[in-house]
Amino acid sequence: MSKNFLLGVYDDEQPVLKAVNELRIKGIRVYDVYSPFAIHGMDDAMGIKRTRLTVAAFIYGVIGCTLALSMMIYMNIFDWPINIGGKPAFMGPDFIPVTFELTVLITALGMVGTFLYVSRLAPGIEGNLIDPRVTNDRFIIAVEIKNEEIRRKTEDILKSYGSLEIRERVTEK
Amino acid sequence: MAHHPTEFKVEHFTFDDKLRKTLITLIVVGLVIAGLGVFMAWKGENAGHDSHGEHHSSVVEQNIPSALTSNETESKAEVAGETEKLQGEQTTDSATVQATETHVAEANTHSAHAEGHEGGHHGPIWLKRFWANILLNNFYFIGIAIFGVFFVAVQYVANAGWAVSLKRVPESFGSFLPVGFVLMLLLIPGMHHIYHWMAEGVSEVGHPNYDKIIAGKSGYLNMPFFLIRLALIFGIWILFYTIMRKLSLKEDEEGGTKNYYKSIRTSAIFIICFAFTLMMAAWDWLMSIDVHWFSTIYWVYTFAGLFVSGFVATVFFLIFLQGRGLMQHVNENHFHDLGKFIFGFSIFWTYIWVSQFLLIWYANIPEETLYYVPRFLGHYKVLFFVNLFINFLFPFLYLMTRNAKRASNSLSTIVLVLAFGHWLDLYLMIMPGVVGENNGFLMEIGFFLAYLGIFGLVVFKALSKAPLVPKNHPMLDESLHHHI
Amino acid sequence: MIQESAVRPPLVLGDKTYSQMTEDIMKPLETKPNLLWFGAFSIAALVMTMGFALIGYLFVTGTGVWGLNKTVGWAWDITNFVFWVGIGHAGTLISAVLLLFRQKWRTSINRAAEAMTIFAVMCAGIFPVIHTGRPWLAFWMLPLPNVHGSLWVNFNSPLLWDVFAISTYLTVSLVFWYIGLIPDIATVRDRAEGLRKKIYGALAFGWNGSARTWARYEVVCLILAGLSTPLVLSVHTIVSFDFATSVIPGWHTTIFPPYFVAGAIFSGFAMVHTLMILTRSIFKLEEYVTMYHIELMNIVIIITGSVVGLAYGTEFFIAWYSGVEYEQYAFLNRAFGPFAWAYWTMITCNVITPQLFWFNSIRKSAVATFIISIFVNIGMWFERFVIIVTSLHRDYLPSSWAMYSPTFVEIGIFIGTFGLFFTLFLLFAKTLPVIALHEIKTVLKTSGEKYKQAAASRVEKGSAGESPVMPEISLARKPQQETEI
Repeated sequence: MSKNFLLGVYDDEQPVLKAVNELRIKGIRVYDVYSPFAIHGMDDAMGIKRTRLTVAAFIYGVIGCTLALSMMIYMNIFDWPINIGGKPAFMGPDFIPVTFELTVLITALGMVGTFLYVSRLAPGIEGNLIDPRVTNDRFIIAVEIKNEEIRRKTEDILKSYGSLEIRERVTEK
Repeated sequence: MAHHPTEFKVEHFTFDDKLRKTLITLIVVGLVIAGLGVFMAWKGENAGHDSHGEHHSSVVEQNIPSALTSNETESKAEVAGETEKLQGEQTTDSATVQATETHVAEANTHSAHAEGHEGGHHGPIWLKRFWANILLNNFYFIGIAIFGVFFVAVQYVANAGWAVSLKRVPESFGSFLPVGFVLMLLLIPGMHHIYHWMAEGVSEVGHPNYDKIIAGKSGYLNMPFFLIRLALIFGIWILFYTIMRKLSLKEDEEGGTKNYYKSIRTSAIFIICFAFTLMMAAWDWLMSIDVHWFSTIYWVYTFAGLFVSGFVATVFFLIFLQGRGLMQHVNENHFHDLGKFIFGFSIFWTYIWVSQFLLIWYANIPEETLYYVPRFLGHYKVLFFVNLFINFLFPFLYLMTRNAKRASNSLSTIVLVLAFGHWLDLYLMIMPGVVGENNGFLMEIGFFLAYLGIFGLVVFKALSKAPLVPKNHPMLDESLHHHI
Repeated sequence: MIQESAVRPPLVLGDKTYSQMTEDIMKPLETKPNLLWFGAFSIAALVMTMGFALIGYLFVTGTGVWGLNKTVGWAWDITNFVFWVGIGHAGTLISAVLLLFRQKWRTSINRAAEAMTIFAVMCAGIFPVIHTGRPWLAFWMLPLPNVHGSLWVNFNSPLLWDVFAISTYLTVSLVFWYIGLIPDIATVRDRAEGLRKKIYGALAFGWNGSARTWARYEVVCLILAGLSTPLVLSVHTIVSFDFATSVIPGWHTTIFPPYFVAGAIFSGFAMVHTLMILTRSIFKLEEYVTMYHIELMNIVIIITGSVVGLAYGTEFFIAWYSGVEYEQYAFLNRAFGPFAWAYWTMITCNVITPQLFWFNSIRKSAVATFIISIFVNIGMWFERFVIIVTSLHRDYLPSSWAMYSPTFVEIGIFIGTFGLFFTLFLLFAKTLPVIALHEIKTVLKTSGEKYKQAAASRVEKGSAGESPVMPEISLARKPQQETEI
């Protein structure tokens, strides 16, 4: 099925924010906004829900912590206790550093992996780049056009905030 | 996230009679409880005097001469025998465990009583406990007071804008410093109950109280120098508090940026002075209780704990003022940042805690482990873990989510818990060295409440004397529009 | 949009637009390297080759070619290891800690500093591996199942903690750095042609600048920062445990963890100065890495330098206070023994020179800063040398006291790591943007010189309180959002 998009191109982030806000107020769903950097407040303006990556990070942390502790306890206490000057094999405080390091490692790798996966980022992937200028100095609002009315309304709003150009783009999916 | 161009009204806090009465009642109640506590302690001691006292003195007699007054190598061997079980407890059978416990108990009493009793000051325990309480609460509230000044100074040096609109709150904590000074002076008559090195003749060769290790330290630990340092510490703190407060109030009147830049310079100098004075304060007032013991990280540890309780106090006063309809411009974003600081510094405190404990535990050298014997293995074992739970695990898990840091409701829980937590931390730093196993909580709670009342009286008075917001601070606008 | 306070100096000088910034920062990548670069690269590569040749010599002949002896069993290479790990810490501090503290100025220097971290940790990693004596068995340090019964590594050993700390640190730093690079690599991709476009295209992970990705991206960066902050503390803490868990006077002292961390940040910032002052003038980036940036870093150097000085003082005082004669002797020997020259070099470089930054004129001079940064680098190397060698060379048993001096192999390998470090940095500077383009763009409108002037003139006209661009939605465009750890 092919999808029809209307793209409004801007050279500053302020009008983009205002336009996105206005579109939402008028009940038009903004498909996406493309920008060269993260615009503070855009997630609120577009109504993007807070990501749950923080929860994922916590879970990875718990996994990392458990793995580290069970590894050390298994290796140094159950499988092959080392006799160091007659001291007990279980020396709690000694396990703090490695537990911490592995927790951090697994949290970081797990969370970044999850981020790349949900954002469809991977080495060698052909990104769906809408315009090469969005990685430089252009800001593009993309609205999916389902009918003529939406097209007209969107065009008006995009124009009223001073878009440099308005284009159409059809994607095959 | 929406906000409106600010129509900002400068607010004033009025210290009304009702609040004053409440605080005075708090002080009275606190003193009554404390008095009751003192009475109970006194009575308990006298009732059980025969058996108890005998036991203690016998322990002291057995252990002290060899451990503390003979030459170093012997004393090392002695304590080593007692403390090597630090790491060995797990593997021993029940008989040995019992033996260890007895050992530990002895070591415990010995480290505590040796220092108090042996010095020719067979002062009653309840009196020691009384003075220890004064020291504990003095340090706790003086710590919060100096934190206020330090926090404001750091904000200036770091060019931080976010906290400007709430800076008058920590700033006003500094007004407690002169009161704190007086309270420290009041402690002087009782100091010899707390600090064993103040006992007569400890550094006099041939005197029955002679203690070689303490004698070695007498170049630093002697009464005149101690008092000079005490005066110096407070002199510097009060001086800088006065200057910085004055500059801030002048800025309210005059506007412009002259006072702002002056404040930055003053703050930079203060921070340097603060480092030295805090270091001395930690060594003098706290570390020298366990006079044989030493740890280089100790002042960092003291600093970390004081920082958390300072942030906690800041949040407490903010929530209180908001409850009176003031300081409404301090919104969830500011609380979020304060929450992050509490979270971060709780972890920092734990980091320093672990650094000190782990290194001493790992190396297992008797000169050092003697500090942890009563705390980690002995009488204070439970409180030792409670301390870690309250000051690390609880804030770590509780403050992890974004919402917990942003809502003043959830922050007030953490304020209550951590305010107690870091008081308990100080309790564990002071009590084992002063009263040994004869600790308690009734007198302690009473004094804490009384001090809280005094601190409230002083700080509220300071708050009422100036506008709640530094209206001409050049970064005020950033703070009012703080959004994260 | 909320303008920042007028008392804050601008972070981007001149009249810049977003595209102008892209041009400026991409220029070193898109122009052919000049003679200066080639010259520097050849020297660095040559030095590196020499270093590796000496390592080869070491492998063939064994660690006997080093100057170690029975008493001083740790000296030169462990010093270098700690030195290089320490250098790395500034990068993480800038990228993680300053991000949590919402310091906008970090955006100009974080990329290069993070790159520095990674290269420094790589240099550091060489030393423990070659010190094992049989580096081809270095994998024995990992907890791998093996044929010698199930003989596992000993988790009670601080040296093993180090293995975990350093490898975690390197991995997380690399990941953090690369995540930060992705949007900028996409910029390079979109300006390139042919094969270059293909390579950068593959490295850009298909980045398209979508707002949904950006929203997650910022959270990911914050969590990584939240993880890296304790991580960076833990790494040098664990390095300090290598010494402090022992019972050697001068090594076993509880202040080591925070003191090592402060020292690491101190030396790292000095190295950032050394690199950035050169980079900014060679690549003409003075408008992005301004004197104000240099001044702020100098303030960090004063603070960390003072903490280090305080720690020296604490150690000395407590050694006396402890009443332990071995402890006292260790410190007296440091200051007045045969290695006193090393000690006083350290004190001069680490405690005295950074205090010169209290003077306005020195703090605000690039040349003076550069010179002092070299002093600090030297001083911090000597700090580790002093701690390690002077504590060991006179131990409990006077009959085994010994001196230590390095051989040409040790010196050569150390110099060789500088070759490796600069080779990597020069390659990085030519292939990847040295300034985090997508991050510095976020501060342009609030902290760019032209924009600040415009805001100031609006204030004069009397429309201060009102937000000039957008009254309804506030955009206090701080570069980052909240911390969510």
